[in-house]
Amino acid sequence: MSAQAYLKGKEIENPVEVHHHVAPVSLYVIILMALFGLTGLTYAVSFANLGPLSLPVAMAVAALKASLVVAFFMHLKDDDRYNLFVFLGTLIFIGIFFGFTLFDMQARDALNDEQRTFVRAEDERNAGNSPAVGISNDPARLAAWEAKHGSHDEGAEGEHAEGAEGEHAEGDKAEGEH
Amino acid sequence: MSEQPASYDLENPSEPNFYKAQKGLKSWLFTVDHKRLGVMYLASVILFFFVAGFLAIALRTELLTPAQDFVSASTYNQLFTLHGAIMTFLFIIPATPGALGNFLLPLMLGAKDVAFPRLNLLSFWIYSAAAVMLLCTLVLGGLDTGWTFYTPYSTSTGTAAGLAALGVFVAGFSSILTGLNFVVTVHRMRAPGQTWDRMPLFVWAIYATAVIQILATPVLAITVLLVFIERFLGIGIFDPAMGGDPVLFQHFFWFYSHPAVYIMILPGFGIISEILTVHSRKHVFGYKAIALSSVAIAIISFLVWGHHLFVSGQSELVGVIFSFLTFAVAVPTAIKVFSWVATLYGGSIVYNTPMWYGLMFLWTFTIGGVTGLYLSTISVDVHLHDTYFVVAHFHYVMMGGLVIAFIGGVFHWWPKITGRFYHEASGKLGALLVFIGFNVTFGTQFFLGHQGMPRRYFAYLPEYTTMHQISTVGSYILASGLLIAGFSLAMAFRKSAPKAGSNPWGAVSLEWKTSSPPIEHNFHDTPHVTGSPYDFPEIDKSGRTH
Amino acid sequence: MSDSTHAAHTDGEHNPYVAHHFDNMGQQAGAAKLGMWLFLATELLMFSGLFLAYFICRMWYPDMVLGAHEYLSKTAGGINTCVLLFSSWTMAMAVRSAQVGKPGSKEDAAKIKKYLLLTLLCAGVFLVVKYFEYSAKFEHGMLPGKFYTAHLHGYEIEGLPHIFFGIYFIMTGLHGVHVLVGMGIMIWIYLRASRGEFSHQNYAGVENTGLYWHLVDLVWIFLFPLLYLVK
Repeated sequence: MSAQAYLKGKEIENPVEVHHHVAPVSLYVIILMALFGLTGLTYAVSFANLGPLSLPVAMAVAALKASLVVAFFMHLKDDDRYNLFVFLGTLIFIGIFFGFTLFDMQARDALNDEQRTFVRAEDERNAGNSPAVGISNDPARLAAWEAKHGSHDEGAEGEHAEGAEGEHAEGDKAEGEH
Repeated sequence: MSEQPASYDLENPSEPNFYKAQKGLKSWLFTVDHKRLGVMYLASVILFFFVAGFLAIALRTELLTPAQDFVSASTYNQLFTLHGAIMTFLFIIPATPGALGNFLLPLMLGAKDVAFPRLNLLSFWIYSAAAVMLLCTLVLGGLDTGWTFYTPYSTSTGTAAGLAALGVFVAGFSSILTGLNFVVTVHRMRAPGQTWDRMPLFVWAIYATAVIQILATPVLAITVLLVFIERFLGIGIFDPAMGGDPVLFQHFFWFYSHPAVYIMILPGFGIISEILTVHSRKHVFGYKAIALSSVAIAIISFLVWGHHLFVSGQSELVGVIFSFLTFAVAVPTAIKVFSWVATLYGGSIVYNTPMWYGLMFLWTFTIGGVTGLYLSTISVDVHLHDTYFVVAHFHYVMMGGLVIAFIGGVFHWWPKITGRFYHEASGKLGALLVFIGFNVTFGTQFFLGHQGMPRRYFAYLPEYTTMHQISTVGSYILASGLLIAGFSLAMAFRKSAPKAGSNPWGAVSLEWKTSSPPIEHNFHDTPHVTGSPYDFPEIDKSGRTH
Repeated sequence: MSDSTHAAHTDGEHNPYVAHHFDNMGQQAGAAKLGMWLFLATELLMFSGLFLAYFICRMWYPDMVLGAHEYLSKTAGGINTCVLLFSSWTMAMAVRSAQVGKPGSKEDAAKIKKYLLLTLLCAGVFLVVKYFEYSAKFEHGMLPGKFYTAHLHGYEIEGLPHIFFGIYFIMTGLHGVHVLVGMGIMIWIYLRASRGEFSHQNYAGVENTGLYWHLVDLVWIFLFPLLYLVK
C-alpha cells in the first residue's frame, strides 16, 4: 500500500522518503538573534510617534518575524510543498474573511453616519439616552441617569453597587439564568 | 478498474468480517476501525434524524389551523430551534462524512484505515458529547434562538443558549477532526496506482467537503465562543447595548455557515455521481469537470456569505458584490447537473431503489438550486427574505439534496455495509412516497412564501390555511415514506435476506473489490489500481437486477 | 500484505514505531506532519476571528483603544515576547537534537530532554509574568465587559474601554490556554524522550510538538504589538 502518487505520469508527492533536513545550529542562533532584534525594533518604534503609519509598520515587522519562525523554526522552507500550500491557503482564506468583513464595516459606517440608521451604545450614551456600560457600574452616574429617565429596572431591588461585581441594569437580563 | 490476485475468494473469505473480528461492547466503544466508526455514526445520525424529524412533524401539526392549537408560542420556538439545530449539527453535517465517508473512504482508496484511526474515534466521542450537550438544553430551559444563534437575542434570552453554544463549539471540533483526517488520508493513504484522476468522485466530494470543514469550522468555534462569552461577560463585540454590533455576528456566523451548507451538500453530490454512474452502467460524463467543480464550489462557498445579510443592514455595495458572487456558485453546480444528465444519456439504466433516489435528487436539487438564484437577487430577496420561500428553498437543497442523496447512498452501499440486500419493493414504495410527500410539503411552501407567509410563526392569517394544510398532509406522507424506507433497509437483517456478494451492482471502484461486509483490514491483498473507477467492462443487464 | 510496488525506505523496514496501517516511517511521519499543519490552519483561522474582532473594535473606537492600551505594561509584554521567542529557539533545538539523535543513545536523549525542559521553563516564566499582569488588571478593575470597574478605582478612560479589556482578556486568555496545553504536550513528549523513543528514525512526535509550540509563538508575535505597542 505504498502511496506513491502520480499526476499525468509525474510524481507529485513523495511520501516514502523520510525528510531529513537538518539545519545547522548556527542558523537557528542567527534567526533567534534576528527575532530579538526585530522585537527591539518594534518596541523602540512604538515610542516614536508615527501616527497612521504606526499600525502598518508594526504589522510589517510582526509579519517579518512570523515568516522567519515559519520558514526556519517550522522548516517550511525545505518542507513538503503541500504543507506550504496549506499554510498560504489558510492565509488567503483569512484574507477573505478579513477583507469582506472590514470592507462592509467601513462602508456601512459611512452610510450609517449619513442616515443615522444604526446607533451604537456610545452614541446613545453621549446623547444621554441609555444607562450604557460603565454608568451601570457607577452608582453616582446611574442615579443621575435614573433621575433623568426614570428607573430602568423596576424589578431589581435597590442598588448594591458597592462590593457587588457590578451587574445592574443591562446586566440583569443576561444574568437571569445563572 | 483494478487488479486483484485471483487466488483469494472474496465470497467466502478466510478471515472474519469486521463485525465478527472482535467481540463485546468494548470492542465497539473503543474501536479504531473506520468501518465500525462509520456504522456507529450511521446509527447515531439516523437516530437524530428521526428525533428532529419528529419535531418537524409536531411543527407541521401545529400549523394545521391558523390559531394556536397544541403548543404554546414559546414551545413552538423551541421546537423549530431544536429541529434546526439537531438536523444541522447532529445530522446533516456529520451524516455523509461521518457515516458513509468513514466507511467508504479508505475502502475506495485501497487503504487499510484512515490516516489517524484514534483521532477518528476521538472525533466520534466528541460528536457524542456535543449531542448530549445539545439534547441537555431540552431539560435545562430549552433553546429558542433558532439554529443561527442571532445576537442580541441569543446573548439575552433566558433559555439555555449558553449550553447550546458550547454544544455547537464541541460539535465543531468533531467536524474539524474528521475533515483533517480525511484530507490526510486522501493525500497519504492511496493504494498504488490510485492517482488523483482515478479516485472515485465520492472521494473527490468528501475531499472538498473536508477542506471546507477545516477552513470554516474554526471560525464557527470562535463565533459561538464569543456568543458564550458575550452572554456571561457582556464584552460588547456583538451586543449593541454594550457597544457591539449584531451584524458583525452575522458576518462571523455566515463565514462558517454558508460554506457549511456546502459541507452538507457536497458529499451528496459525490453519492449521486456514484449512484447514477453505477446504475446506468456508463462511464461518468465529464469526470474531471465533476471532480474539479466540487473543489470550485468549496472555494466559491467562502465568497458568498453576505447574501444572508441583504436586509440586515449590510452596506449596499457589499451586498451587490455578494449577490454577484452568489450567482457564480450556479456555474460549477450546473456543470455537475448537466454532467449527471449526460451520464444517464444512452446508459443502460436499472431502475432500482438507489437509482430512484438518484433521479429524485436531480429533480428536487435542481429546483432547490434554481430558487437559490431568486434569493441571491437582492431586489427579489428583499421581498422573499424570512418567508416560507426561504424555508422551501433551504429544504429543497438540504432535504431534497443531501437527505435524498444520503438515503440513496445508504441503499446503494447497504449490501456492502450489511452483506445483504434491502427489500426492493418496499424500498421503491418508500422512495415514491418520499418523492410525493417531499414535493407536496415543500413545493407548497414556495407559494406560501411568495404570498408573504413569514417563517417561524406559530399562528398565521386564515388566507394561508389551505396551503398550510396541504403542506402538513405532505409532511405526513413524507414521514410515512421515510419509515417505509427504514423498513426496507431493516429487512436486510432477516436471516432469509438474500446475500449480496462482494459486488452486487457490477461496479468497478475499490470498495466493491472486497468481501461484503469487508474483512477487518479491508483488503486481503493490497489492490493495485490500473484504471478509472468507471470503466465498466461491457453493457450487460443480466445479473444486475434482482 | 503483498509486496509494495515501490521499495520502501530503509528506515521503514524494521522500524518498531510504524503503525500497522502505514507502510513505512516516511508515510507515517509525512501524514502526521500534514495533519499537524492542517490543525495549525484551523488554529490560525480560529485566532483570526479574534484578531478581526480587535481590528473592528479599533475601527469603531480608535481613541478608546489608544487610551486603554496605555494601561497595559509594555515591559511585561516585551519580556514575555523575548521569553517566547527564546522558547521557540529551544524547541527548534529539541527537534534538531531528535533529528540527529542515534537510536538508543542516552546522550542524544538527554540533549532532547534538556531543550524540552528549557522550553517548559520558558512557558512557565511566560505564565508567571502573565499572572502578575492579570492580577494588576484585576486590582484596578480593568475587567472585561460588564465587570469593568476601573472608573471606580479612579481610572477615567474615554469611551467604552470594557470592550478593549474584553478583547484583551479573550485573546491573551485563549493564547494562555494554548500555552498550558503546549506545556502538557511537552511533558508527555519529555516522558517519551526519557524512554528513549526519539531518534532520527522516529522524531515526528517532537517535530509536531515543535510546530504547535511555534504557532503559539506566532500568535503572540502579532498579539504583542497589537495589544501593547501600537498607537
